[in-house]
Amino acid sequence: MLTLEFSGRRALLLGGSCTLALELAGLMITAGLRPVLTYRRGQGRRLIEEYFAGRAETIELAHLDVASETSVADFIHQMDQPPDYLVDFVHPDFEALVASADSSSVRDYFNTQVGLRSTVIQAVTRQMLTRKRGRLVFISSTAAQRPNAGQGFYAAAKQALEALYRNVGLELAGRGITTVTLRPGYINAGRGERYLEKGRGAVLKKVPLARALEPVEVANVIMFLLSCSATGFNATELTLDGGLSASK
Amino acid sequence: MLFEKVQQIIMELMDIPAKDITQETYLVRDLDLESIDFLELAVSLNAAFKIDIHDDTIFLRNLRLYLNEALEKTIQPKEFLGRKYPFLSAERIQQVLSDLEAGPVIKVKDLVSYVQWAGGKKKAA
Repeated sequence: MLTLEFSGRRALLLGGSCTLALELAGLMITAGLRPVLTYRRGQGRRLIEEYFAGRAETIELAHLDVASETSVADFIHQMDQPPDYLVDFVHPDFEALVASADSSSVRDYFNTQVGLRSTVIQAVTRQMLTRKRGRLVFISSTAAQRPNAGQGFYAAAKQALEALYRNVGLELAGRGITTVTLRPGYINAGRGERYLEKGRGAVLKKVPLARALEPVEVANVIMFLLSCSATGFNATELTLDGGLSASK
Repeated sequence: MLFEKVQQIIMELMDIPAKDITQETYLVRDLDLESIDFLELAVSLNAAFKIDIHDDTIFLRNLRLYLNEALEKTIQPKEFLGRKYPFLSAERIQQVLSDLEAGPVIKVKDLVSYVQWAGGKKKAA
């Protein structure tokens, strides 16, 4: 039986109010890790607080809006100790046909999703460097590899971030900091769940596994990727989609 | 005092004996620092002195770009570099200008000057 071992304790979860992050934080607590969940709005904070009602002392909360320069600067300023792990779930949608998208919205989207996020990645990895230890997992999407119509900008931002995380692993693995990207397919959570509900049956026919993944399955995979056993997965992307992207 | 702390950081980072690190030591020409070493150096200086480190500035990265810009704008290079690198003395800038042909100019004493300057800025704030 594989026993997961962890070299650190403190885990920063960007986009901490999404279903996957909450599920992961629960697993982390069971494994003796200390999740720090970031939220963008009061609604996100309430979701986290409700999820961890009665065990609030097991987590930490931090405000971070990756679309706000001030918020990013405040977040970095307040980071008093380096996290051992970072899991990046932030994924605001941007659905538009490439030829019809509003160009200023496109610029804003890339500026925040890629530009400002790289500032956060930079700050976290510099902190990790002081200890020469760190593991970063970027939660991307199969859309990065096989987008549907309307997902061009979303896919481009995901690919840009994948490239940044890949290079962090390339540049800093020798200093104890490694990275891996996970590309999940359809999940029974959040945006994926809503999409599946709209086109139930038809969508899942494309998945050889013939079902969507449950959040806990994905969270367990992330736990493995954070563990010492998975360090060899560095500067690369892994697909977790039940075979979706392998088929025509 | 500042120099000794900077010296200590470089010693630990590069595994070099103290005697090989003086104020006049070149970081690239003498110690063979590479980009990853500069990154670690920036992080260590930030942690040791609790000051913001702007990597491009402290390591004089855009020196040649600034010299081209000065030429384009017909500004004296010495004056232009003085604006871009406020932690360097006029005397040091003159040395830098006359030393460019031989390769990367950055020395240990430039780091010390930056730390001193950034520390002063922090206190003033």
